[in-house]
Amino acid sequence: MNQPNASTDIRRDLVALLPRLRRFALTLTGGAPEADELVRDVAGRAIQKSHHWKGEGRLENWLFSMMRSTWADEAKKRRRMDPDLVDAGCAPESRKPSNFVVSLPDGLASAFLLVDVEGFTYSEAAAILGIQPDLLATRLCAARFDLATTGVRTSERRA
Amino acid sequence: MSTAQPSPLELRLSAYVDGEAGEHDRHSVEELLVNDPQARALHDTLKRGADIGRQAFDDMLKEPVPLDLVRAIRNAPLPRRAVRLPQAPRPSIAFKPSAPRVFAACLLFFALGSGAGYMLGNRPATPEVTAISAPGASSRDWLDDIIAQYRLYARQTNHLAEIPAERAADILEWLTTNTGVGFRIPDLGDSGLTFQGARLFTAGGTPVGQLLYRRTDGEGDGDVIAISFTKTRPDGNRSIEEIRNDTGLVTWVTPLATYMVIGPSSAADLDDIAAKAAGLI
Repeated sequence: MNQPNASTDIRRDLVALLPRLRRFALTLTGGAPEADELVRDVAGRAIQKSHHWKGEGRLENWLFSMMRSTWADEAKKRRRMDPDLVDAGCAPESRKPSNFVVSLPDGLASAFLLVDVEGFTYSEAAAILGIQPDLLATRLCAARFDLATTGVRTSERRA
Repeated sequence: MSTAQPSPLELRLSAYVDGEAGEHDRHSVEELLVNDPQARALHDTLKRGADIGRQAFDDMLKEPVPLDLVRAIRNAPLPRRAVRLPQAPRPSIAFKPSAPRVFAACLLFFALGSGAGYMLGNRPATPEVTAISAPGASSRDWLDDIIAQYRLYARQTNHLAEIPAERAADILEWLTTNTGVGFRIPDLGDSGLTFQGARLFTAGGTPVGQLLYRRTDGEGDGDVIAISFTKTRPDGNRSIEEIRNDTGLVTWVTPLATYMVIGPSSAADLDDIAAKAAGLI
């Protein structure tokens, strides 16, 4: 008898990736409750669309892209409802994120996370964030300078 | 917080840190780092920023993940999808007629057509044509018997199985001898199913072996899932996935037997169970 291919359960992979998905979501939303809601939403979509995932490349790539576009749609909806809201990717000051990296402005944290921490190339990270590689390089460079300055301030405060 | 636009030198240094600088640019940046103290200082700042950021992001992984999020993902229902089940081997016929063969076939069909037309033309007219119906045609088929059997026993609490799960050797001997189908008892614990025992019955006049499982984990707790096997072949020798009344049925065919997974139509993972069982039975 021919044996069928072992079917992989994407839910297992999602649970394993959960801390990293949540971390990326935090760079987009700037706040933990919104990040958790975004992860829940994207995980649900990924499970429903799991047949689209052909196992080529990194699963994170697909999930991060989906998360970014979901958050962009969500941000558009929120802006329509309240035009005074700030741009997506920039954490509002009122939310006071627990980690200073998340409070980097203008999507710098997402660019930094994808390239410096997750190890994506410039072109992969730019595709995930839906921006040009040049803009990604600019954000990455700015993020490093910001982190160097903010990091020093943070350690001085702790001391 | 405001962010100044990085200068071209800063951008080049940043790309150099990532190994994204081109060959020529890499050499010129390395030269700069040797000769220009300001470039060296910028490079060090970039590296320090990267280290601080990496450390901060690594720390974020240590934060606990909300348990309800984990639970929501683990318990999310999988979408129903087509599962490729094993098919009975089909003979492969290569049909590549040559030009003379095509010509000969055309001539043959022409001759046959002419002959048939001539004969019909010479036939005396008949007053009416008698309709011939298939003798004993019935909308019921042997799969209906399988479903009926499942529906009868799936509701049993005390008399679900004829031979209990503990007597595995007895089950193997009894069902193999009577159905003529060799099998193993699949362990479907991964799908939350616990083996309860087995039954023997007939469907369409042929013996059918049935292994009965009860769901002890996840959604549909308590549901009975049955794996049946028989020598009978479905029409067209093909796999079937369908719902009859409130019962779902997934079949697959091998050269020796037909196997079925039967369960409540609400069980979204019947095809997954079938795929697993096909590899284990």
